[in-house]
Parts: sequence; C-alpha cells; structure tokens
Amino acid sequence: MQPKSITVYLNHEPREWRVHPNDLLLNVLREHEALTGTKYGCGIGECGACTVHIDGEPVLSCLTLAIACEDKSILTIEGLARDGKLDAVQTAFLDHSAFQCGFCTSDMILMTRALLNEIPNPTEEQVRDYLRGNLCRCTGYASIVRAALGAATQEANAIGAADA
Amino acid sequence: MRDFDLLQPKTLTAALDALAPNDPATRPLAGGTDMIVDIRSGRAAPTALVSLQEVAELRGIKRENGTLQIGAATTLAEFLTHPDLAHQALYQAAYNFANPMVRNLATIAGNINSASPAGDMLPPLLVLDAQIELVSKSGTRLVALDQFLLGPRKTVRRADEVIASIRIPALRPQSPVSTGFYKLGLRQADAISIISVAVRLERDGDTIRDVRIALGAVAPRPIRATGAEAVLRGQPFSENALKESARIAAQECAPIDDLRASANYRRRMIQVYVRRMLEQTWNKTL
Repeated sequence: MQPKSITVYLNHEPREWRVHPNDLLLNVLREHEALTGTKYGCGIGECGACTVHIDGEPVLSCLTLAIACEDKSILTIEGLARDGKLDAVQTAFLDHSAFQCGFCTSDMILMTRALLNEIPNPTEEQVRDYLRGNLCRCTGYASIVRAALGAATQEANAIGAADA
Repeated sequence: MRDFDLLQPKTLTAALDALAPNDPATRPLAGGTDMIVDIRSGRAAPTALVSLQEVAELRGIKRENGTLQIGAATTLAEFLTHPDLAHQALYQAAYNFANPMVRNLATIAGNINSASPAGDMLPPLLVLDAQIELVSKSGTRLVALDQFLLGPRKTVRRADEVIASIRIPALRPQSPVSTGFYKLGLRQADAISIISVAVRLERDGDTIRDVRIALGAVAPRPIRATGAEAVLRGQPFSENALKESARIAAQECAPIDDLRASANYRRRMIQVYVRRMLEQTWNKTL
C-alpha cells in the first residue's frame, strides 16, 4: 500500500525513511540502513537476536513495524559506542570473552545495557532473569553473565571515582 | 510480508470510524506480537490494520468505585511495575509471560483478544471475575471474560468493536484473600504453557469461605473448574478436601495430546498444581 515518509532518530541522528506499512523495522535497519549488527534469528519473537532499544526500552525489531517508529529514538548496537569510545558493557564483553560465534552478542549487549539502566547493581539472579529471552546457541551463558556483572561493577567504580 | 493498509488514528472515535464497516479483514492492531507473526505465517490475512498504539484513551490504569479499570493498551511490562495491579496471580502470569522484549510491546487486550487456550493472562483474569469493555460506534457493552471467550482464537468481539478496558470488580471480601498463578512450561522463558492454574481463595478462620480455580491449556479455552470449587466452598480446610478438589479439576478439564505434552500428563499435572496452588493461597492468607 501507500508508503509514508517518517522521521526517526537512529543512533542519535535524525533520519528520513520512506516506508510501507508492511516493512519490518528489522529489515529497514539491515537492508536500507546496512546496520547488520541487528540479527534476523527466529522471526517470531522467541530468540532475542533482533533486539533494539526504542525510546530506551528493549524491543524486538522483527515484531515492530518501521512505520510505528515515527519520531522515536532507535538504538542499535552500532550506536552504543559514543565518540569512538566503547560502552562499559561492550568493554566488559571483550574483557570476559563473552562471545563465541557472535550471533547473539548484539542483543546480549543491548539487553545488558537496558538492565543496567534499570538496575545499576543487579544480582546474578537478576541478570539471568533479564536475559532469559535471549538465546545463545553456543550456550556461552556463563561468560555473558560474568560480563554483565563485571560491567555493573565497573560502572559503580567509575561513579565512585567521579564522586571522590 | 504480505501487503496491507495501515491506519494510525489518534483518537478512539477515529479508530471506531475505521472499524465501523464491520469487515473481518480490517483488524485492530495492538502490540503486534501475535498479529505480525500470524500475518507472516499466513494464519491472518488482513487487508487493513487499525493501529491502536497512538490512541490515548486506551492507556492508563485507574480505580473507580473500587473497580480496577485497566486500559486496553497496558503492556505486560506495566503489570510488573504498577502498584495498583498488585494481584499476585496477575503479577506471576506477567512475570512468566514470553520475555522482557515482548512484554514491552504486548498488551493485555491483545492477549485477551488472541484467545489462545494457553493465553497466560486469562486464568488469573478468570478468577478475578474480569469484565471486558467492548466499544463500537453503536455503543459500549461489558462482557464477563468467561462469556467473552468462545474457543481457540474465537471470542464474542465483533469486527467493528475494540477492547477499551478490562474491569476487575472489587469483590468485597469479608475475609483475607490471596491469589496465585502457576505456569508449567518446558523452559523459563518463551514457553507456551503445558498447563497453567490460577486460584483466588478467601479464608475465614479454618474455613474456605470462597474459592475460584481457573485452568489454562487443558481445554479449547481457559476454563473455570467450577466442580472443584464447589467441593471446597464453605468447607473447613483439610488436606483431603484439597486432594478431592484437585481430583475433580483433573476430571473437569479436556486436554489434548500435542507436541508439548500428552493429554494424560496434562491431567496429572492439573491434579498436582491445583492442589499446590490451593495450599499456597491458603497459607498466604494466614
């Protein structure tokens, strides 16, 4: 049907999109914006691979119509590092080697970021609880959980140092 | 994905205008977590969707004369944080619902309208006597959830109606009340229930003054186990009474064999979890 021109704020920058009602956000990101860090996994909302933040909340881009993102802020893995500096969660994933094949890395990092925004100092149980909809088919969960806890500690220390 | 037209009304009046022709191929769209999957799989083939996402009238939770009025667009995530939605059964069901990303999109009205036999929020809403507010250009009607659900994916909602709110009446308990919900799934997230059980129990000293039991995923739609309730209502609490109620609940349901579990296993698990949830809700009213 009729395409519509919309403005979105993609990774902190305004973008004009011309989208059809049946364009999924996932496909617009990957095919139109060439942001392939967001992955197409199951396509039915059960694996978490396509997770992005919309207005700060983690949602699934495979179940989101692009046209519904008008005037909203979209954050993908490509927008997490600012001014060439990795986010603390990204650094922690590197430090803890929290990936094997890498397919779930984008969604695990974005979910961990969302968790720490909500609960800055989570318990291991809270981390596992929050990440339970995100699948790692290499089953490398132990290091992912360690990385999430490590990122929390690092951010707490950074705030402590700034306060001192 | 197949082509469709999309309308994005900003008011309820405009949404109802769009649905007024009462055409089953024009469907309301809420969070989309069922609808988009259904369109992609070919299970749904709407020619037009009327998005309710920007309709402000469908948002918000309020209390009026004791009745809790939950806006249709309330997301499952909001059920975990809103202080007025403090029924334990609703909280447990929302907590085990899909995964955090889906909970940020999926709405309570969407879960009800999908009318899955395994719909997570339906057993808790059944034991809370929830009513569904349906609105259309020709008026408003309130339908008890028990009457709203007809069968798998079948409800009494006409194509020109939208769910505007879910009403949970104040049941004016004379004694301590507790609710609970348990979902038996194959894993901790993204599970479709093998069975689920919701209980609302009102206690008067050593007696069960009132009890409601609802069962999910063991019949064409979530059901009340009225026979299992009847043997407990007004009776003194005892282990044997609970066991008898659980036995009747297992007889009242009509499960099927499918890839998640056999009918026999489902019946057995209904017996186990009805007893456990009765015990748990009883103990919580102490």
